[in-house]
Amino acid sequence: MMQNVKINSYQFLILVTLFSIGTSILIVPSVLATAAKQDAWIVAIFGTGIGLLVIWLFCTLAQWFPHLTFIQVTEKILGKWVGKAVSLLFVFMSFIYASSLLFYSGTFLNTHLMPNTPMVALNILMAIIIVMGVRLGLETIARSAEILILFFFVLFLFLVLFISPEVKFENVQPVYEAGTRTIVQSSLSFIEVTSVNAIVLLMIFPAFINKFKQAKKSFLIGNLIGGIVIIILTFLSVSVLGADNTAAEFYPSYELAKRINLGDFIQRIEALMAALWIIALYFKTTLYFYASVLGIAQILNLKDYRPLTIPLGMIVVVLSLVIYPNVVYQQNWNATTGIFFSYSIGLFLPLLLVVVYAIRKKQLKKSPESSSV
Amino acid sequence: MLKSMGILLIATAILLIEVPPLLEKKYKKELLVFSILLVIGVGLSIAQGLGKTIPNPMDLLTYMFKPLNDVIAHLSK
Repeated sequence: MMQNVKINSYQFLILVTLFSIGTSILIVPSVLATAAKQDAWIVAIFGTGIGLLVIWLFCTLAQWFPHLTFIQVTEKILGKWVGKAVSLLFVFMSFIYASSLLFYSGTFLNTHLMPNTPMVALNILMAIIIVMGVRLGLETIARSAEILILFFFVLFLFLVLFISPEVKFENVQPVYEAGTRTIVQSSLSFIEVTSVNAIVLLMIFPAFINKFKQAKKSFLIGNLIGGIVIIILTFLSVSVLGADNTAAEFYPSYELAKRINLGDFIQRIEALMAALWIIALYFKTTLYFYASVLGIAQILNLKDYRPLTIPLGMIVVVLSLVIYPNVVYQQNWNATTGIFFSYSIGLFLPLLLVVVYAIRKKQLKKSPESSSV
Repeated sequence: MLKSMGILLIATAILLIEVPPLLEKKYKKELLVFSILLVIGVGLSIAQGLGKTIPNPMDLLTYMFKPLNDVIAHLSK
């Protein structure tokens, strides 16, 4: 089953960064500003801190089995049948999220850039490049990420530099009005999007990385960089647009790009900035899709995951049209069920695995196959 | 009708690309899983193309997490 695919820790750092930025760049500022008003950026800082703890938990889990993917780890710790059942839930989650991200990119392009194109066409186009990436393998995805991250950060730097003259500090005052309780509560959804869902990275983290020690560091650093990008964007959205506008806007950071106006000359460059969103969304969706395809292949003990990519790609496109009937449903679902679903698989499940491992430690150590594959 | 024809054509193309290498390597299990997934994919796509309602997996999740949701909503009041 094991493909001899290895990526280095720098490539993994980039993948983690893009994964953490992923959808957060589009929707998180608005979600945070709804509850915490002008203190949204404090929530983002708080959330990044807690998120690092979650990532640390994942690293701890991963270092016990440095040659196995998450599916194989659950099978090893929980036994064959329970493990497979739990893995199915995990695969279900990554598959559902892959199609929901496809929905995000579809709606984003549809509402802002190509209003006359049917959403199916946009979703199919996106799905084709995702399937292509996954078929070509993790190494290809990682290398293309290496190229595109430069593009990403140059554009991000432009966005931050060009918008900074518009910052009004009155918009973020009074600081810390929301209070600790609101900040903790609204940070839940932030942690979910950037860190808890990063559990799907455990499908590539210990198994396909060549140096474990460095990779652990890059998992944490990548998440931190992603968090900082979101903190900056949230701060800019709130201070430029104001808290109420940020909350009312569906894609506040896109609105931010529209406000860029440098000497009445450089303005309306948001279509260029949309590349930021598309790059980040593409890699996050690809990683979700990769995790689900590889997960299904490993649950069924298949020798190769590649034949499954195209049929699953078809299903993902159909699901992306079905899962959210409208945007209100989406926001409502994300704020309630989505949080519980992510936390039960992304946080509760690893904790359960840690506890069971602690109990079964001696038994697992005795069996020879746990140390090597 | 046109949509279904198109989807079936695409499915044939996929079959032509994917199946020969699998047969060559004698991956029987892979072929079985591939066929099942392809049938599901084609079925869902045609149903969607004809405008039939497909059950939404998100509703199932909402139903599953409703008790927890209610408890949390009650506590956080």
